[in-house]
Amino acid sequence: MYDAIVVGGRCAGAATALLLARQGHRVLVVDRSSFPSDVISTHFLWPHGMSYLNRWGLLDQVTAVTPTHTVVDIVNDGIPLSGSVPVSLLREHFRDLHGDDSGVVQSYASVRRRVLDQILVEAAAKAGAEVRTHSTVRELIISDGRVVGVRGRASDGGEFEERARIVVGADGRNSFVARTLGLPRFDERPRCTFAYWSYWSGFDPGRGQIHRRGRLGCAVVPTNFGQNMVLVWGPSEWSREFRADVPGNVQRALDFVSPELGELVRTRGTREERIYGTLDQSGFLRQLHGPGWVLVGDAESAKDQCTAIGMTHAFRDAELASAALHRWLAGESSLDEAMAAYEGRRRSQNSAAYYDYVCTLSEMRPYRHDELQLFVALRGNQEETDRFIATHADIAPVSEFFQASNLFLLNDAAKESSAGYPVFEDFAATSRMYQQNLFA
Amino acid sequence: MTSTDLQQRDDGELIEAILDAARRGDVATMAREAAEVSEMTRNWATHIPWDDLAALDASGADGELARVVADLTEMWEPAHLRNPVDPDEEYALDKNAYDFYRPAGRDLLARTEDFYGWVQARRRTETWQYSRVLEAAPDSIAEITNDLGKRTRGINFNSQDYLSFNTHPAIREAAVRAMRDYGPHSAGSPMVLGNTRISDELEAALGELTGLEHVTLFSTGWSAGFGAIVGLVRQSDHVVIDRLAHSCLQQGARAATRNVVRYEHLNVEAVRQHLVDIRSHDTRNGILVVTDGLFSVDADWPDLVTLQRVCREHDATLLVDVAHDLGAMGPGGTGVLGMQGLLGEVDIVMGAFSKSFCSNGGFVASRSPALKQYVKMFSGSHFFSNALSPVQTAVVREAARIIRSPEGDELRARLFTAIHALRDELTGRGLTCMGEPSPIVPLLIGNEKLARTANRLLFDRGVLAFMVEFPVTPTGSSRFRLQVQAGHRPEEAREAARIIEGAIADSRAYLSSAFGSAAR
Ligand SMILES: Cc1cc2nc3c(=O)[nH]c(=O)nc-3n(C[C@H](O)[C@H](O)[C@H](O)COP(=O)(O)OP(=O)(O)OC[C@H]3O[C@@H](n4cnc5c(N)ncnc54)[C@H](O)[C@@H]3O)c2cc1C
Repeated sequence: MYDAIVVGGRCAGAATALLLARQGHRVLVVDRSSFPSDVISTHFLWPHGMSYLNRWGLLDQVTAVTPTHTVVDIVNDGIPLSGSVPVSLLREHFRDLHGDDSGVVQSYASVRRRVLDQILVEAAAKAGAEVRTHSTVRELIISDGRVVGVRGRASDGGEFEERARIVVGADGRNSFVARTLGLPRFDERPRCTFAYWSYWSGFDPGRGQIHRRGRLGCAVVPTNFGQNMVLVWGPSEWSREFRADVPGNVQRALDFVSPELGELVRTRGTREERIYGTLDQSGFLRQLHGPGWVLVGDAESAKDQCTAIGMTHAFRDAELASAALHRWLAGESSLDEAMAAYEGRRRSQNSAAYYDYVCTLSEMRPYRHDELQLFVALRGNQEETDRFIATHADIAPVSEFFQASNLFLLNDAAKESSAGYPVFEDFAATSRMYQQNLFA
Repeated sequence: MTSTDLQQRDDGELIEAILDAARRGDVATMAREAAEVSEMTRNWATHIPWDDLAALDASGADGELARVVADLTEMWEPAHLRNPVDPDEEYALDKNAYDFYRPAGRDLLARTEDFYGWVQARRRTETWQYSRVLEAAPDSIAEITNDLGKRTRGINFNSQDYLSFNTHPAIREAAVRAMRDYGPHSAGSPMVLGNTRISDELEAALGELTGLEHVTLFSTGWSAGFGAIVGLVRQSDHVVIDRLAHSCLQQGARAATRNVVRYEHLNVEAVRQHLVDIRSHDTRNGILVVTDGLFSVDADWPDLVTLQRVCREHDATLLVDVAHDLGAMGPGGTGVLGMQGLLGEVDIVMGAFSKSFCSNGGFVASRSPALKQYVKMFSGSHFFSNALSPVQTAVVREAARIIRSPEGDELRARLFTAIHALRDELTGRGLTCMGEPSPIVPLLIGNEKLARTANRLLFDRGVLAFMVEFPVTPTGSSRFRLQVQAGHRPEEAREAARIIEGAIADSRAYLSSAFGSAAR
């Protein structure tokens, strides 16, 4: 009999197991993968994602093999902004969400999942959790309407059966736990992006860059093994045409969105792996908890990759859920109270606002005139640029940046006008051009 | 990585091939193609039996094949193409007014069209909460028409008439008398010949109510706030303003100077720090600190005692907008100032008549006759605007009289009985009322879509409530602003609360939304 069985052992699962085990609870983690291995995901970690790793004492292991930076470049239709997330906002974020602001760091990184997930799973084991990899949960044991354990196939092909006081579904977007319980999807947002990426050596982009033009985006971030992760994305309704020639269209998208980056990749880059991709990224939420079970990570809420936030959110869930479960397991509160606290954080106004922000962005409509002018107004206003970046990454609440009195002030304080940016020259014609499928 | 890896087909192509084979019931080909699918995708799409496809029943009799096809299709085809939605409703619910703030193009007329298209979508989907019209005097029940011509009757929390003066016989009588004595028109700026003897009496009454004897009248509350700031503050001066202060104050600040600092709502310590900061580099120019008394969307108020002291310590001047509280709360109707023992103590007070005094109009008050003359001369909205009409002035004067009489106490007691009934019933039903008991009961919703949909239902179910969203509130923190009147019976308030709860629950189900409205 375990205190908790965690199904899935990556960002959400291994972290939840690690935190529970460190508090002395008996934990079993089961994952069908063997490690090290990848999972569909680019792997940008914003500073709060890095801060979680630091809070858990794992950051040094990651940075020993992964380049990190603090300043990020964001270029929208040729309007460049550079900034970093202020420590004060990071602290506020952790205080609000977790009640303590220890361990914040300002850096970001792109960590291959085969690197990161391995570190997490090893840390969970070291903390005392029992980790079974290459083992698949195939059945939930339900007694009196309550989940009380799991059955599955172990790595040696044999069957296993284990019981616990709670089963944690950390098994990703396609969660087995959620499917088996027949949980419906809420707040579905079917419009999303397609994303294709791979790993290139041969050039140094300096630091992370994120570009948008029209309905397409691209990013480059230095990652492990001396390589760069290069990613392109666009509206999923263009995906069929994109798929007709994946390598050609990756290059075409780069050339369109950022000719400089396109040139760098074409002339200097060597692709080291096949190209990966998916368009299955529609957003949704699931019920968070029920009798004998609770969900964390993508299992409870999946959303598009366009703000690169899923892994960090999985870490957040792990801290919130493990703190709640600990209070219950330690006899400090009832399970219902503990879960209500978790739910209060996860289904709050701020969460809803950020969810809307991501889902709207993932429709990849061309930026509107007012949005582009806002980017121009932000130029030269470092404090607000940094706050915008923090807002984009779900570190500062959407409502604090997107507040009328703030936006009007930003406008008034603008140092530049639209004059220097070609996108404004014939905006109507440019907007029409942006609606054309580049890959058709 | 080997070069064959590099050349490998991407997963999308492989999934297409698997789907193709599935349509022919060719499970062997399905399995063969699946063997090439990347490890990444296998670790992610864990619901697909990648290794066991060959074992599927090719006849499809057990439904497994169809399930696999459905799951793979979901990964392969854009989801929204499978779930068509009403484009009008999607457009209406997805956007914000601010999305249209900076339109493109040199044709000022043509570039308003985009915004209008959105307004039309909101109208068609009955989610446009603005521009409704009354069919009769708004009482605790009102009959209204929305801007599509659809009529409804409901318990009315959509009018600002906290003391129910609009139907009060003495108020109506005062209006009639002024109409007889002076006619409907003031016929001039208050600086010229727009005022009457009643105006002087009103200034004196307001002076007594606020403890600040030098009062200037404005023809709207908005122009009083805007005018006070632009009248006093110059380019090199500073304005330190609560983030949520009323729009007329925000716009006045922006119009007066570029040196505007918005501080965290109610945070007096933040004000102190901003003042220290400004005074560390500017000892020569003025600083105006601006706040509301009762805030109209959060229903809370600042610690004005400390705020006024902090201002004095740094040679800053305090301006407080008491539009929503004066008359409706506090001892003798003295509002938040009276509640904090500050009558006559605050540097500058401004207010509006439109909430508790049954008329348009506003005022600025202080203890300084010089300030009064200065504001009259340099607030454009005073000098260059027609004065309050004699009827309006008389109504406000009569309202001020009642507010300060025992009848005023009785009306406020009735008002607060209704307020408590409404808040208790809403809270008891698990909803979140923000702020403190006051004539404004903000019911927190959060998500705009949910609020817009609930608002649509309420219209048909007999509750009139104003839904506030961006730009009145920040993005993602919409709410219903329920404005209570002395004329509301407690049972009406409870009935409304029950209907509101039902509408919110139904909207949540309609949108299949799992979000609640806790703050963080
Ligand atoms: C294209 C793309 C790009 C992305 N880019 C980023 C990014 O740059 N930054 C970022 O932060 N996020 C990104 N994300 C999101 C991120 O990948 C996810 O949010 C994150 O992986 C969620 O972690 P998780 O632990 O909840 O689930 P997963 O990482 O999906 O892990 C679930 C685990 O559960 C296991 N499992 C499933 N079923 C069973 C079972 N029955 N028995 C045992 N084990 C099981 C699986 O094998 C898997 O290992 C991206 C996502 C996509 C699709």
